[in-house]
Amino acid sequence: MTKIFVSAVIEAPVEEVWAKVRDFNNLPEWHPKFSRSHIEGGLASDRVGCVRNFDIAGGGGTIRERLLELSDVEHSFRYCILTSPLPVEGYVAQLTLYPVTVGDQTVGIWTAEFDVTNNDEAGVVNAVANDTFGKAFEILNTLFAAKKRVNGL
Amino acid sequence: MIKVYRSAIIRASADKVWKLARDFNGLPKWHPAIATSEIEGGLPADRVGCVRRFTLKSDGGLLREQLLSLADDTRSLTYNILISPMPVANYMAGMRFTPITMGGDTFAEWWAVFDVTSGPPQVTADDIGDNVFVLGFAAIGKLLAR
Repeated sequence: MTKIFVSAVIEAPVEEVWAKVRDFNNLPEWHPKFSRSHIEGGLASDRVGCVRNFDIAGGGGTIRERLLELSDVEHSFRYCILTSPLPVEGYVAQLTLYPVTVGDQTVGIWTAEFDVTNNDEAGVVNAVANDTFGKAFEILNTLFAAKKRVNGL
Repeated sequence: MIKVYRSAIIRASADKVWKLARDFNGLPKWHPAIATSEIEGGLPADRVGCVRRFTLKSDGGLLREQLLSLADDTRSLTYNILISPMPVANYMAGMRFTPITMGGDTFAEWWAVFDVTSGPPQVTADDIGDNVFVLGFAAIGKLLAR
């Protein structure tokens, strides 16, 4: 079993960050690694059990993931991979946002557990931990920094 | 029942912060409000169930708190109050220190749930949150500043 743990400070209040990431169908709208997404069967993207069907940008293939849990109280969602081009099995991941009360920032913690089905565990870990989770936190910080500049804060 | 939650980023590694905070008898080493501390019966400070007996710098007030849980893998502990000069009852609290992998800092959390036995509950809650928890975080940050 391979475990991933990535955490970062995001320079915006937790409600703002949650509003950005809560929509299970909008990952490609802000994450450059992904493109095109729809929820299968036309379900609402906050309906637990729904499946998002999206592409890795640049022809990297399609990923299907099921929403296992969504909590507005905990600012958290958990999901699993149904099908993907990644050499993984039993992939379950969770993103949780925590308020930093001193400073009104957010801490994002993104974890995953899975088995790697080829012999390149380091490559898979890098793709998930750095290119996906770490990149997401970087992009969110860039987005909120730009928003602050626009608002003159 | 009222809940207090405070969290902060401490500019030091989670292992360093935990080394300090893990010592249930170590409050006087880092918390500016605490004068003295001892573990009753001479028990080790990481023995779950042990009771710390400590005094406040301000007025010498005595508190007794019991360690309810301690976990090194999640860098967390919980405790309750047995005796305190504060107007609280059924007081249970916990702290947790999580690594920020992007940057190497620590996400520090400290919470408590309790009943307030006299006066406006929110005033007591804010007093504990700001003058015990946040002050504690700031003191750890200052002590471990890198």
